[in-house]
Amino acid sequence: MRILEEGKGEYLRVDPDGHRAYVRDHKPHQMVSKLMSEKDAVARFIQDGDYLAYDCNYFQRGPSSLIREIIRQGRKDLWVCGKFTYVACALLVEAGCANRIDLAFIGFGPWIARAVKEKKCAIYEYSNAIMTLRLKAGAMGVPFLPARSFGGTSGFEYSGCKLVEDPYTGRPVMLVPALNPDAAIIHVHQADEFGNARVFGTGIAHQECALASRRVIVSAEEIVSTDEIRRDPGRTSIPHFAVDAVVHAPFGAYPGTVQGYYASDPAGVIEAMGAMFRGDFREYLKKHVYSVGSHDEYLEKVVGTKKLAELRRRETIREGYGS
Amino acid sequence: MSTPAANFNEREFVICQIARLVEDKYIYWVGGGGEPLSAALLAKRTTAPNLQYLTEDGVVGPEALVPFDPLMNMISSRANYRALQWGTMNYAADLAHLGYVDCGILNTLQVDRYGNINSTVVGKYEGGEGRRFGGPGGADSIAALAWRTILVTDQQKRKFVDKVDFISSPGFLDGPGSREKHGLPPNTGPWRVYTPWAMYGYAADCQLMLQAIAPFVTVEQVLAEMNFKPAMAPKIAVLEVPTEEELLILRTQIDVAGQVTDRGRWIELKDGKYRFAE
Repeated sequence: MRILEEGKGEYLRVDPDGHRAYVRDHKPHQMVSKLMSEKDAVARFIQDGDYLAYDCNYFQRGPSSLIREIIRQGRKDLWVCGKFTYVACALLVEAGCANRIDLAFIGFGPWIARAVKEKKCAIYEYSNAIMTLRLKAGAMGVPFLPARSFGGTSGFEYSGCKLVEDPYTGRPVMLVPALNPDAAIIHVHQADEFGNARVFGTGIAHQECALASRRVIVSAEEIVSTDEIRRDPGRTSIPHFAVDAVVHAPFGAYPGTVQGYYASDPAGVIEAMGAMFRGDFREYLKKHVYSVGSHDEYLEKVVGTKKLAELRRRETIREGYGS
Repeated sequence: MSTPAANFNEREFVICQIARLVEDKYIYWVGGGGEPLSAALLAKRTTAPNLQYLTEDGVVGPEALVPFDPLMNMISSRANYRALQWGTMNYAADLAHLGYVDCGILNTLQVDRYGNINSTVVGKYEGGEGRRFGGPGGADSIAALAWRTILVTDQQKRKFVDKVDFISSPGFLDGPGSREKHGLPPNTGPWRVYTPWAMYGYAADCQLMLQAIAPFVTVEQVLAEMNFKPAMAPKIAVLEVPTEEELLILRTQIDVAGQVTDRGRWIELKDGKYRFAE
């Protein structure tokens, strides 16, 4: 296959055979209970230097409580999948956890700008659907997938993509490298103790993220029985064998929304966006991350039960969400 | 029944222009919220009641309940209310690859002579010197794969440049044939650019072409707010102002809190002429 043009961006090594071997040797093929605290899950499954993917974002059905826990545990040198996200990358970079970003859409902010200028944070350029396609390739176990977008952009030059001559049509086509993250964190509506998980409503790439990644932590609003999962198998979004840890995290997406369960907290969203735009998360981190030892304590002491009840009430639409 | 309005602002003006273009028979991919979504929702309540649109999270044909909480224009129950289908981002991109997306509607930071879109950096990219923005997000897929694309931006000199500092999402790239050379599907690309003051199309050589202006500005005023001289249509048309009926819907059913429209200058009808209000 003739390569016409290629990006010069560094990219996570493409290694489908390595991933297969990892799946054979380390993924939990047997149904075993994986229910644990977020502290244990992050301690066991997120390591310094990991390539980390999270699905959705800090405001929209994202694993916000797990992001806060990663910061609390002080992970270092993460390479982050920055698709469809507003503040999570900036939080992770500013807290000293991340120093590389595959950037599709993030709230950039002055802190990351400074870090990039001082060469403390590297950026590689993509677009949202190019990143989800990379995850799809990773989730299919193939080394790359073709796309008919991204060609001709400046981002392409700073990416790991290649424009090649399609051996079937003879026309130029974009190839995106498969992405198999070291770790993924995903927030879902329901999961059983084994990790069979349900996402209701739209999503970004939760299934691709779970299947493509080596170590996967799922946090769930509700822990349901396996009987409940078996009652309506068409609603299982993620199978148990892709999941390494299940964390029960009601309001795990706070200050964001979980569709059908609770609304976002506009004041909490604006507080985080404001800190990102100012390029100063110090106060935010102190209040929302370091002042507590766990998500439960955070909900109780920082957010408060009154606020949580209000967010449930404000989510008036239920159709299509839940069983 | 349609009564030309005597008072409206620039933002309301541009939303009404785009809403009038939107048709029932097409499928749209609407980027984010702001003017594109407001225009789609206005069309749904006026000329295109069966309008279908997608957003990046793979929602198909929702009947969104506006207004949304801040930033909740995707993956939220109100944005995705009563949809025909719920999908994911790869599904939205698949539909666009397949050719189901007739038209994309996008907001942009900066656009150039060939309709290329910059939402990444103003100034120098290398070394992190320039002023950075969020990146292409989903706009790259829309601009590459939709059969045609409508862009919305402000009529400001810094928004219309001869060549963008960074192509985040593709317009016609270097001109005729260039998209195909870079692997994009044939017969796709930019179609219209709307600002609160003007409407542009593209000439046969893929260059931006001024086609119409708002009745409250002159061609000279529009050109003064561009960094390059566009091609000119043989006759520059004058855009029709919003109607009272459109504004009533926009103000009472769509942007009730003024999240989208509460910026920009006001226009009034005085002595039979539209002009900026004092």
